[in-house]
Amino acid sequence: MKKIISFVLSILLIVGLFSGCGKSETSNNNTNTNTNQTQNEQKVLKVWSFTDEVKTMTVAFQGKNPNVKIEYTMIPMTNGEYQTKLKSALQAGEGPDVVTLEASFVREFIESDYLEDLSDLLPVAKDLKTYQFTIDMGTYEGVTKAFSYQATPGAYFYRRSLAKKYFGTDDPEKIQELVSDMKKFEQAAKVIKEKSKGNTYMVASVGDFTNLFFANREKPWVVDDNLVIDPKVDELFEIAKSFRQNGYEAQANQWQEGWFAGMNDSLVDAKGNPKQIFSYILPTWGLPYVLMPNSAPKEVKVEGSDKTKTVGKNTAGDWACIKGPMPYQWGGTWIAAVKGTKNLDLAKEFIKFATLDEENLKNWALGVYTNEYLKKIDPTIGDKLAQGAGDFVSSQKVVEEIASQFDNAETSKFLSGQNSYKSFAEAAPNISLKLIQGTDDAIQRALNDPLSNYASGKATKEQAMKQFKDAVKNALPDLNVQ
Amino acid sequence: MQIPQLEIIILGKGVIALSENVVKAKRKNSKINKNYYGYLFTAPFIIVFLLFSFYPLIYTFYLSFTNMTMMSKTYKLVGFENFAKLFQDKFFVQSLINTWKIWLLNFIPQIGIAMLLAVWLTSSRLKIKFVGYWRTIFYLPNILMPATIAVLFFNFFSFYGPVNQVGVRLGIFKDAIDFFRNSGWTVSIVAFIQWWMWFGSTLIIIMAGMTSISQSFYESAMVDGANSWDMFRKITLPLLKPVLVYILVTSLVGGMQMFDIPYMLTDGRGSPNGSIMTMNILMYMKFSSNKGHIGAAASVGVMIFIITCLSALLIIKLLSDKTDRKTNIKGKRG
Repeated sequence: MKKIISFVLSILLIVGLFSGCGKSETSNNNTNTNTNQTQNEQKVLKVWSFTDEVKTMTVAFQGKNPNVKIEYTMIPMTNGEYQTKLKSALQAGEGPDVVTLEASFVREFIESDYLEDLSDLLPVAKDLKTYQFTIDMGTYEGVTKAFSYQATPGAYFYRRSLAKKYFGTDDPEKIQELVSDMKKFEQAAKVIKEKSKGNTYMVASVGDFTNLFFANREKPWVVDDNLVIDPKVDELFEIAKSFRQNGYEAQANQWQEGWFAGMNDSLVDAKGNPKQIFSYILPTWGLPYVLMPNSAPKEVKVEGSDKTKTVGKNTAGDWACIKGPMPYQWGGTWIAAVKGTKNLDLAKEFIKFATLDEENLKNWALGVYTNEYLKKIDPTIGDKLAQGAGDFVSSQKVVEEIASQFDNAETSKFLSGQNSYKSFAEAAPNISLKLIQGTDDAIQRALNDPLSNYASGKATKEQAMKQFKDAVKNALPDLNVQ
Repeated sequence: MQIPQLEIIILGKGVIALSENVVKAKRKNSKINKNYYGYLFTAPFIIVFLLFSFYPLIYTFYLSFTNMTMMSKTYKLVGFENFAKLFQDKFFVQSLINTWKIWLLNFIPQIGIAMLLAVWLTSSRLKIKFVGYWRTIFYLPNILMPATIAVLFFNFFSFYGPVNQVGVRLGIFKDAIDFFRNSGWTVSIVAFIQWWMWFGSTLIIIMAGMTSISQSFYESAMVDGANSWDMFRKITLPLLKPVLVYILVTSLVGGMQMFDIPYMLTDGRGSPNGSIMTMNILMYMKFSSNKGHIGAAASVGVMIFIITCLSALLIIKLLSDKTDRKTNIKGKRG
């Protein structure tokens, strides 16, 4: 008897182990049959992205198509988690239907076999006069695989009050004169430092202007599988060193607390002295997504009580936007369909809506997608999701139609009446992306440490270059690095 | 697809558990043959182990001989090419040194302080009150998510963070220190976090070991006029040896696989200057590189496995007493 009982018990133990697997299988089957039955009623589209941005559009899309349910997954890309997750999911064949791709890694995916051909949407893009560089970016060997809703020409934002204080004028044209190339930019930084006695920095971090140099290289990083170090990289090293050694930059890290603190004047150094940042080098999206949300006072909790106090001040209206020392473009989001998706038609429809739909692009740029608007469609989205006005869209047709509407928009008030949209519209057609390659992200990340070492004087140029080459070799073993 | 973790500790525990069961069954019930119950009862573990630990382990070995990447669907066997590249790669050597450095920097203070606290907390002379309370406090950091801790410490030590603010205002340092652009500081911070997270856990194990030592040894030692140091050296340490071997081996296995704190603390690539790039981070870097070199990542994984196994065996061999046969046998299998 005992034997039987213990035998049964142990069998139970083993069976118990697998009950987990068994249950999920059966429930999967159930949902499958359910979806088959209700397919006419509701279609499901899986979208993966690295910010909440595109979620706004998925909600709007569901508003237009009530029979569609979009499952939105956000995975951050701070250290490349999104790309890694996406790659491994795609390799395992468990990817979503639609993916968004950021400028720094979009080429990797465009050059792979993982995305569907979306070339049949090209006529729509032609009608909308979509900026050619956004299409080029999504095209490989004649096949267009991704479209973007944004165009992202670069700009330069500075504080009007500080400009008046140190240069006697806040006139955008005159300031543009003062920073029209890197030599003058450095000179202006020196003036600011001297006149402010070191309390105002030209920029918050060295990272702010790396993009300028990358965008103005002659040759791409990789030519015939060889690493090419453009003379601009040398220039970048020198100017970074000058800025670090002379104290023209605040030693903050981009996208971290100190860097943001400069935007609402809440930057305080370790000794408790308030510090100010004269300018930020940001592209189109930097205005509505970065600068505007961070230039208001912030509420923080007072230690040991429930009270809050405000830190910083409202700097809206104290900013101006100019071209800056060098033309550049930075960032941008492309949307693509995953190869082999069962919902290809729906995926295309969504991509068309998000990137090539006149009405949607207008709504997107003009700030129609407020939280209330989106909540009416989907009450579960919470109180934060919304799209403010001012993002620069990829369709020249739309841009031309709406540019003048920004004369009185929030973004223009923020810039004290300056319509940045119009100046972006002038810059956008001239952008070229011929330099961009799939390996850029890895190479530019590899440059971070060597650049910082050289700037702070911890390494000579040779040491820094060697470190850079070693890091590239490690990240990209197939590349020839001399 | 995920790179399988190489958890030899599970293997170790499993074999010990199995062998114990079998041995006990044989000794106690030699007349009625119940041997197979041992197999039956350990079957759940064995099955899970084979499926989720052993198979991935073998598969990792297989992958390390291929040139599989995430961006292409085909791959082929390339023999030892991945390993050849690895040994030419100074990053691998650097990551090996880093891993050992960080582990030693955290383990030596960890065992030292845990030992000291354990002696105090279990001492019948000191009679410290609220032992359970202290134990809990010391253990608490271990409950927190490593990711949370990494973010917390990153903010503490950032250039505009509270450590600099307080430090400069109190005059501890003259100027704000850029902790995460300085290799020495960053390594120390990682080692400190590891120490802070794990000394409580070590403390509990050591205390359990110490309380299981019979009080009569100490009593008779006191009668013979031994002082605390003598008692610690001649009674506590020798009797604690099996526990110490266990701590050393588990900590080594954990230390060689250190990943989450150094990964989250800076840029996920061991910045600054690759100073906190551990072997696991290197493995992940190979895996998440722009083509996703699964083969190269697997070869790093295999190397971690071999290094961990060899060091664990070495520790067991060095620490096991020749007269203490039982520990020896157990140890060798672990």
